[in-house]
Formats: sequence, C-alpha cells, structure tokens
Amino acid sequence: MTSIANSIYFLPFQSIYSQNHFRDDKGWNSANLCWFRFDSPRPKWICGRSRWVSAIGASALDSAGNDGASVPVDGKGLDWERRINSFREMVNALPPATLVFKGTTPSKSVLILSIAIAILAIASRRIMLKRKDNSYQGSVADLVRRGQLRSDRRGISKPMKYDDPFNNPFVKIDKSCSTVEMFGKLYRLAPVTLTTEQKSVHQKRRSRVYQWKRPTVFLKEGDSMPPDIDPDTVRWIPANHPFATTVSDIDEDLAQNNVYQKDGVPFRVKAEHEAMQKKLQALQNEQRFNEVAINLNNIRDFERPSQSVKPHEQLEQDSSIYQQNGLINEGVDSSADNHQRN
Amino acid sequence: MSSPFPHLLPSSPLSPSLPLLFLPSKTLSPRHRRRSAVTAALQWNRKPQFAGETPRVVVVTSGKGGVGKTTTTANVGLSLARFGFSVVAIDADAGLRNLDLLLGLENRVNYTAVDVLNGDCRLDQALVRDRRCPSLELLCISKPRSKLPLGFGSKALTWVVDALRSRPAGPPHFVLIDCPAGIDAGFITAIAPANEAVLVTTPDITALRDADRVTGLLECDGIRDIKMIVNRVRTDLIRGEDMMSVLDVQEMLGLALLGVIPEDSEVIKSTNRGYPLVLNKPPTMAGLAFEQAAWRLVEQDTMTAVMVEEEPKKKGFFSFFGG
Repeated sequence: MTSIANSIYFLPFQSIYSQNHFRDDKGWNSANLCWFRFDSPRPKWICGRSRWVSAIGASALDSAGNDGASVPVDGKGLDWERRINSFREMVNALPPATLVFKGTTPSKSVLILSIAIAILAIASRRIMLKRKDNSYQGSVADLVRRGQLRSDRRGISKPMKYDDPFNNPFVKIDKSCSTVEMFGKLYRLAPVTLTTEQKSVHQKRRSRVYQWKRPTVFLKEGDSMPPDIDPDTVRWIPANHPFATTVSDIDEDLAQNNVYQKDGVPFRVKAEHEAMQKKLQALQNEQRFNEVAINLNNIRDFERPSQSVKPHEQLEQDSSIYQQNGLINEGVDSSADNHQRN
Repeated sequence: MSSPFPHLLPSSPLSPSLPLLFLPSKTLSPRHRRRSAVTAALQWNRKPQFAGETPRVVVVTSGKGGVGKTTTTANVGLSLARFGFSVVAIDADAGLRNLDLLLGLENRVNYTAVDVLNGDCRLDQALVRDRRCPSLELLCISKPRSKLPLGFGSKALTWVVDALRSRPAGPPHFVLIDCPAGIDAGFITAIAPANEAVLVTTPDITALRDADRVTGLLECDGIRDIKMIVNRVRTDLIRGEDMMSVLDVQEMLGLALLGVIPEDSEVIKSTNRGYPLVLNKPPTMAGLAFEQAAWRLVEQDTMTAVMVEEEPKKKGFFSFFGG
C-alpha cells in the first residue's frame, strides 16, 4: 500500500498547456474521474469535482481501458501500474480549460443574459423562502424557540400549568420510583440514614455542651441590677444595640394593651388627639379674644372710609366692649375723648 | 490530624456505594416506613394536610449570616400561602430587616411592631398584605435605624403572637419568624414565641458549627421540634467530593431534613426583583425545592430520601435523529 502511495506521489506533474493535441473526439469515463492532489504530503482523492470534464462526450480512457483489459493481470503490482498508466493518460488527455472555453465561448450578450437570469432566479427563490417562513409564524416551532413550549412536548395539546403547585410538568417520577427526572436531570433517591438513636445521641451531646437559659430581662450595660431578678436571666445590651432605647414613655402594661387592641383608635393617636383637642380649646379661647381684637381693628379700619356708623354710637359700643374684657386703656379713652371733643 | 471540631465530623464517611434501599430498617418514625421514598422526596397532585395546632409558630434561624434565612422565610411563606394557608411572616431583625425587600413589599411598610407597641397603630394596621397571595401578611419588627424599647424587647413578639392567636378574623395557620443572625438579643426575641424551628444551613463547616450551637440553644429553650434545610447544595461539587453531601450534614447535626435547596442563579435574580422564586414561571429548581419544604412543614413531615444526581444518559447514535 505504501509503495502504491509513493508511486502516486512521485508521478510527474504535467502541464496541460502542452497537451492540446490530445483534444480529440474520444469520450471520458466519468467513473474514473477522480483527481489526485499532490500539494499535500499524503495524496487525497477528490472525486466528482471535474464535472465540466464529463460534459466532453468522448473519452480517451475507453481506448486506454481496452488496452489495459488485454494485458494479463499477474498480480497486484501490475494491476496498479496499469491503473497509474491509465491515469497518466487521462491527465495527458485533459484538454486545457482555456482552449475548451475558447472553442465554445458564447457571445457576450448571451453570457450577461444567463448571469442575469441566474441572479433573478436566486433572488426569486430567496423571496419565496422568506414568504414561506413568514407563513409559519406562531407555530409550535416558534413557541419552542421562544421557550414557551418544550420540544419534547410537541404534539401535546394540553398546555403546561405553572400556576398549579400540585401539578408540575418539570418533575417526572419513574414508574419504578427509583429515579426522578427534574429539569432534564436524572436523580436517584438515596435513603436518609439518620436513626432515632443517632438523633438522641446528638441531643445529649448538645445538652452537655451548651447549657443555656434564655434571658428574659434586657439591661443596658452600666445599669444596676434590680434586686428581684435572677442574674442568669439578664441579657446585657450594649449601648449601640437596636434594642438599647432608654427613653420609653410607655410602660410594659400599656405596650401590651396596645398590641392586644383589636379595634378603635390606637392609644397614642387617641392621646395625641385629646391633647390636640385641649390645646385647640385653649387656643380657641385665646382666639376668641384675638378675633374680637381683630374685629375691633377691622371696625376701626373700616370706620373712616365708610362713615356709616355715627361716631358717638361707635364709641359707646367700643367702650362697653373694652369694659367687658377689662382691657380699657388710657390710649383708647383718650382717643374716645378726642372723638367726643370733636 | 486531630480535628478542631471533633463532634461535628462524621464518625464514618458516607459510603459512595450507598445501597438503593428506600426504606431503611431504622427510620425516624414507623409512619415513615410505610411511605414510599418518592412520596417523601417529592409530592404533587394533592393538597398538603395541615398538622398540629393553629397557629404554628415557626422560627427560621441559622446562627451564621448569609445562609438564606430570609430567602427561606419568603419562599416557604409564599408557598404556604399558595397552598391556601394563612401565613404571617414576621421580620424579627430589628436593625437589618430584609424580608420586605425579598417579598417586594418595601414600599408598603408604613407601620411596624414598634409602632404597635407605642400605640401609633393597631396590629392589624401594621400587617402588610401581599397582593399576589392575600393570605400572606408581613410584619416588620422595626424600621431601619429605629430602636426597640429595651424593657420589653424579648416580650414584644410573644405579645404579637398572642394577639394574632386571638384576632377576630381567626388565628393564622402559620407564623413564620425570620430570625436575625447571631445569638444576640434579636435571636432571643425571635425564638421567644416559637414552638418549632427551621434551621437553615449550608454544607460548609462554618455554617455547621454555628448551626450546631444554635440547635443547642434552641433545645435548651425547650424547642424540640427542629428541622433543617440544607441550602445552596451543588450536586456537581458533591459528586467530585469537594462539598459535603446532605447526608454528611445530617450525620454531623443529627437533625431531621425538611428540605434540600440546590444552588440556583435564579435566587439572586428573584431577590433583586422582589419576586420570590416560588412564583417564577417556569418554576426553578430552588423554587420547587422550597415548595417541597413548605409541603413537609405543613404535614410535619421529613425527608426520608435525598436526591443524588445521576450521571447523564449516554446518547446513542440514533439520538441525533430523535431516537
């Protein structure tokens, strides 16, 4: 085998340009149209690449084959030699491409027309394929591509229910109950080996190692210990802890009542509301006086331009009001006197 | 080499060739023996049956921070609400509350438990109802930067739970308390009203040490019903023996398994969106696991089998053609 390969490898490369006299009417045997590549270190067969050669009706190999058939086959080596010879003849008989084209070159316009037709055909085919793709939008394949449907569920009309926690399509339990398939992965079930004895051993170990009493009283670090409290139940809280609020205006009972309150106005809202009401009442009392004072001023402001009320009557009203409020001052009296004098 | 933490190390390493027996001879309770392992691992096609007395007050705690307590509270709470149970989720983290963000209710929190204690509002006014699942209500203990009165810090949540128990609309089925990290005053406040606990841990040694300590404190406080959720489990790392398996974690802590949550990139997305995982369409792995954990919580059930990832099937030649 290696000798054959080597013999093929050492075949002399013959230029096809010097072989134009081989272009005759003899046909080519297309079955033998296998080419050798000599540029690679190992020769390779490249079959069926020279279709244009098969267009040539006549083959020179037929005659060579006939000649070869008359040679008695002595062994493998002879057979291969014959084949190599025939191949060499075939190569020699190959007409140069330029001459082939020269002989059958069509006119330029025909060539352009054929190229244009080919381009048109390709374009029309593309358009047709695109239209075909558009017609399949929304198909099951699209749903699979978008991840809405799994490819292995094609043909199953029942949609997958993700809302239902009791019917999950991603979990498949084997009939033999030995394996579970979840999300495409196969899992085998291994039993839990923890026994009650082991569990109790662990509990005993922990009770021996960790001896702890839950603290019930939180005290800030630095505070004095109340007398009636077990020191084991005290948790000392650092000052920067979220629980370390010292200012608390409500006591424990009140806080508990606040938590247990089921309806009505919350305690603090109610207390604030009452406080606001008291404040408002006090403000209203003050405001009544202020309103009066403002009214007085307003009256005074409006007195001069309107001149509708007689000055004597107005002054009497003013003085009576001031007397009621006990806020008579000399300035007012003096002004009243001034009015009376006028 | 002697371990600095000997009591948490497994006494015998888990055999890789674990027998495929679904019903081991020594399981946690006889009731579980009758059940098939698959039913315990995954349950669908029926509504969970409520077990226990209402309200069931469950504290979600861990000790270590960042293991997924708030994520668990949000998702389990919303799952319970989707199952049709009324749930009140309480964010007991006084200084660093986040549950409202995970539930997407941060803009609707006007009053907190501190306001209720102070008498600024009633308890029903401080409860924020989720519009997606109206049976879920949120109560935050305080606003950020505000401080809880020191004198009744530890009693505040007990009063709140008592008030919820006797509210006119009826007690909620579940009161989920999101516990702050650590074992400080916040932890003490959060566990005070609880009857049962869900311990969230990740399969790493730091979280396990804290979880063990917290479990010890809870047991000292009288909370005996403690189940654990192992969060952020990566089956690929477990397969390569780079991460402790769930069974290893269980062997170290000796706690019943409520759920196993796989690592999922959807968690961070849901956190950012304020849209819990269990509402995702299509559902995610972690969301399904939270749903299953919620299921077991309702029925007071535990896992009797865990899922171990199998090698992917080798595809045949004709698989290319759909075979």
